[in-house]
Formats: sequence, structure tokens, C-alpha cells
Amino acid sequence: MSTSTSIQPAAGPGRATPKGASPGPGPSFFRVLNSEFIKFRTLLSTMILLASTAVVMVGFGALSAWGTGQFADQAASDPEAAAAIAAQGGDLAVTVPTSGVSFAQLILGSLGVLLMSSEFTTGMARSTFAAVPKRLPAFVAKLVVVVVSAFVLTAVSTYIAGLVSVPILDNFGLKLDLASSQSVKLLLVTSAYVAAVAAIGMALGTLLRNSAGGIMSLVGLFFVAPIAFQLIPGDFFEEARKYLPGNTINPLTAVEHVPDTLEVWQAALVLGAWVVVPVALAMVLLKKRDV
Amino acid sequence: MIEAEGLTKVYGDKTAVGGVSFTVQAGQVTGFLGPNGAGKSTTMRMIMGLDTPTAGTVTVNGVPFARHAAPLREIGALLDAKAVHTSRSAYNHLLAMAATHSIPRKRVHEVIDMTGLADVARKKVKGFSLGMGQRLGIAAALLGDPQTIILDEPVNGLDPEGVVWVRNLVKYLASEGRTVFLSSHLMSEMALTADHLIVIGRGRIIADAPIKDIITGKGHSRTRVRSDQPDRLMQVLAGTGVSVELQDHELLEVTGLDQRQIARSALDNQVLIYELTPLQASLEEAYMELTKDEVEYHSLITTGAPVPAQSGGN
Repeated sequence: MSTSTSIQPAAGPGRATPKGASPGPGPSFFRVLNSEFIKFRTLLSTMILLASTAVVMVGFGALSAWGTGQFADQAASDPEAAAAIAAQGGDLAVTVPTSGVSFAQLILGSLGVLLMSSEFTTGMARSTFAAVPKRLPAFVAKLVVVVVSAFVLTAVSTYIAGLVSVPILDNFGLKLDLASSQSVKLLLVTSAYVAAVAAIGMALGTLLRNSAGGIMSLVGLFFVAPIAFQLIPGDFFEEARKYLPGNTINPLTAVEHVPDTLEVWQAALVLGAWVVVPVALAMVLLKKRDV
Repeated sequence: MIEAEGLTKVYGDKTAVGGVSFTVQAGQVTGFLGPNGAGKSTTMRMIMGLDTPTAGTVTVNGVPFARHAAPLREIGALLDAKAVHTSRSAYNHLLAMAATHSIPRKRVHEVIDMTGLADVARKKVKGFSLGMGQRLGIAAALLGDPQTIILDEPVNGLDPEGVVWVRNLVKYLASEGRTVFLSSHLMSEMALTADHLIVIGRGRIIADAPIKDIITGKGHSRTRVRSDQPDRLMQVLAGTGVSVELQDHELLEVTGLDQRQIARSALDNQVLIYELTPLQASLEEAYMELTKDEVEYHSLITTGAPVPAQSGGN
């Protein structure tokens, strides 16, 4: 047994040869994004929610095309209906492809909640944040996955809904040009709006760490609050109602400014604030709280 | 090497970990032993940066966990059997973990084979038994081939074959020069696996010593002796620092003398003895001795408690 081991390289089956950390890269943003994408695509429940969103968007598009056609038919023989159409700018067909948006926002918003709340309810968060102890890269990566997938899915579903609607509307003599600037604007703005709702959902999931609570808050904000604000008497609630996130979509997609609603730029700012504030709060608390 | 310095965690008015300091050395298996609620898991979560200490610091190889450039390659942990989204397959779970550090798929397959999960790797974790979940947790801990390995109750729910496997695995990992820190409430398991023991109770370190010292430490060298003439033997052996107890009509338990001394006295005094068995204090006994004041949840026995007299009659 040699007494001087300093010259020899640490090798051989000797006990307690100090082992260093294995060399190799750590969690860069791109790698974390890749990891979050793997997590996203390997959950069956996520795929089911995405598929049902597409089905609902296309289904409602087709249904709405049929309904709009019926309505236009009546209008031909009914001066009152004709006046109603004229009041809406004359072009009924253009909003047909996005008619399922209120359901898409509910499903994809819930998906946003679930993707983060399930990390905490299943304990996966401990694995996630042990691998990415700085935490925020994992949050931002997940946010990118949620927002991009919500945007792309809504855009693609809207376009397919449009393709399905064109022949139906044609039967009733209505024309829908999917390449018109108003069609393109509707598709992009609606998709961005749904992506924003998904981001709000993810922030709620991060803050509440609870699936049911997160989804209920989302439903409360987008479906219950607008109705409640309408029922409560008083000027304050009537005014406040305009600033609810769910009520920003109409001014954002309107052809012309409708009286008593926000201007387009105001609506964009309000929706932006509804995204930025909860997301920022979620990030601050995620960094601070114990997992 | 893991170094904790005055590590403290307070939840509201409850101190889970009260200023503990210890060092876990590389190249040996260090056991972390303590009753339920003693602060073992909280300490381990603080090492992993999941819980922020109220006070104090803990470093892994000199650096707080979160500041390592490649955390999974530095330290791997099994903190909870199911720190997994149970609707995902084991393979996809490991793949997603590996992706954060660009760990190749080959390594994912390696740890799956190593932990014996090959047959179930493509199945949802939801259907896993507790033992399978433990194996998946160990696979995840080994993914980055880390220098430091932390395992919280790794043998929970494992079958006997799995227990032996974990025992051999942690010994092998330590023999490679890694730091292995392992908690368990199974004291017999610790006696077989650990080289060094840190005992914690009510958030404080009660003992921090090589396991041999803890077992033999308390003057527990006892011997069971059988003889035809127990009364005569008791007289012969009596002396300062020696206690002899008659347990059965031919059975004695001697404390304070070793076997050679007992045999010599018996021979010198012509007393026949036909059994001479060294009794080592089990780790269990040593542990009970150490923690008897530190158990947080005593089993409550409701009978026999004196009820204060309330009747003012006499």
C-alpha cells in the first residue's frame, strides 16, 4: 500500500475515490422549453382538450353558417330582418368562423389552469423545480407553450371552420372571403384573445395551485362577472363591466366602434393588463413560495 | 458533500427544523433517522432548494443547490415516491426531466433498465404500485449521474428483493465516492445500510456519529449466560460496574463484563456455563434511548391518568 497517493490519478476500485459532478450542460431556456413541450404533448388529457376545442370551433362555425343562412333567407322577405342586417354592417358571414370562440376560451383557459395546477396537485412540481431551481425559466417556458399552442389551435380551428362554412353559406347565397382583411383580422385577434385567456388561466393555476379553484375563478371572471355586473344596478357596475377581460373581445373585433364600448386601443390595453398583472404576480409568488 | 449550518424552518408558530448543523461526507452512506414529524423531509426539501430556510444555509459541494449550473448532474433526489404527473408514462416523465439538461435518451433507457422498470416504462404512472413509484423516483434521481444522491424513505413500499437492491445500490454508489444521504424510519434497515448516522428529533440533531458508535456507544455490552448454578455465578461475577440479572431459573444477563472475563471467572470458580452469547444493543434500542424525549406524537394511553378531584364534598 502506497502512502503517497497524490501523484497517482484517482482510479481503480479504491473506496471513496472522490467523484466530481458529471460534466454536461444545465437547464438553458431552450432546453427547459423542450422539456415543457415534452410534458405538454405526453398528457392524454391535454390532447383531448385540444381536440375538443377544434371540434367545438369547427362545429359552431358550421352551425352558425347554417343559422346565418336561414336568417338571411328570412331577411329577403322580411323588411325588419333586413334592417337588422343592415344595422350590423351588412356582412353577417364574416363572423361565422369565430362563433365558437366563447367555448374555445373556456376550454383553453381551463387547460392553462390545469397545466400548472396539476404540477402542484400531483407533486410533479418537486421534480420540475428540482431540475430548474431558478423556477422562472420553467414558468416562462410553460407560458410560451400554453400561449403559442392556444394561439395556433384557435387560428387553425377558425380557418377550418371558415373552410367548412363557405359552401354552407354559399347555399344561401352568402359569400365569405377567408382572405379578406376583416376575416384575417378576426382570425388573428380572436386567436390572440384566446391565447391571452390561456395565459390568465395559467397564472390562476400558479397562484391557486388547485385545479377546481383555478377553473372556477376563470369561469367566474369570464362568464359570471359580466352577467352579475349587468344585474347589479348602479352606474359603477355598468362602467366597470366594460373593463372585464371577457368584454374586450367585442371592441377588439368590431368593424366600427360601437357606442358605449371601449375604443380598440383601450380594449387592447385592458386585456394586456389582465394578462400582465396576474402573470407577474404568479411569477413573484412562484419564486418566493415553497414548492 | 452536504453542509448545513444553523438550518431552520419555521411554519407559523411551529418550528419544523430548529437550527441544525451537520455535514454529510462523500464516499459513505449517511443515514438520516428520526421519528415522524422530526424534520427529515423538510431538511431534505431545503437542501433541494424547494423550501426556503427561515434561517441558516445549506450547500451542496460548497454551493447552494439553486446556484449550480447543472443541478441534476450535481445532485439527484427522491423526495416523494410520486413527484410525478401520474397520467404520464414513466418513460415520458424521465424524458422530460432529461430534456432540461440535454441528457441523452440512452441515459433514460439506462436508468430504466437499472431500476428494473423496463416492462412498465411505457405505462401510466397512475397504475404503479408504491414500490414501482419508488423505483421511478430512484431512476429520476440517478438520471444526471450526480455526485450527491438524496433519498427520502427509499425502501418504503418495496418488496424484500427491492429492499436488498436499494441496500446494494446505495452502498455501491457510496463506494464510487458519491455522497449518499438517505432517510428512513426503518432502523434495522439503517443498521444494515448506513456507515454514518444523523439522528434528528423535534427538529434538532440528537446524534451525529458512525453507526458503530451509536450501537455500542451507551455501555450496552451485555452477555446472556446460562449456568447450572446461577446463584453461585452471580456471587462470583459481582463487582463494581457489573450488574447481573437473573432472568430465568438458569439464565443470567450480565452487563459490564466481556465474554472472556465471564468465562475466566467461571472456570476459576468451577462453575459450569453452557451458554455465553454477546448481546448487542440493536440500533432500535439505541434509537429509542436517544429519542425517548424527542418523539412528537406519543401514543396516548387514556387509562390510569389521574383525574383531578373536582367534588368539593370532603
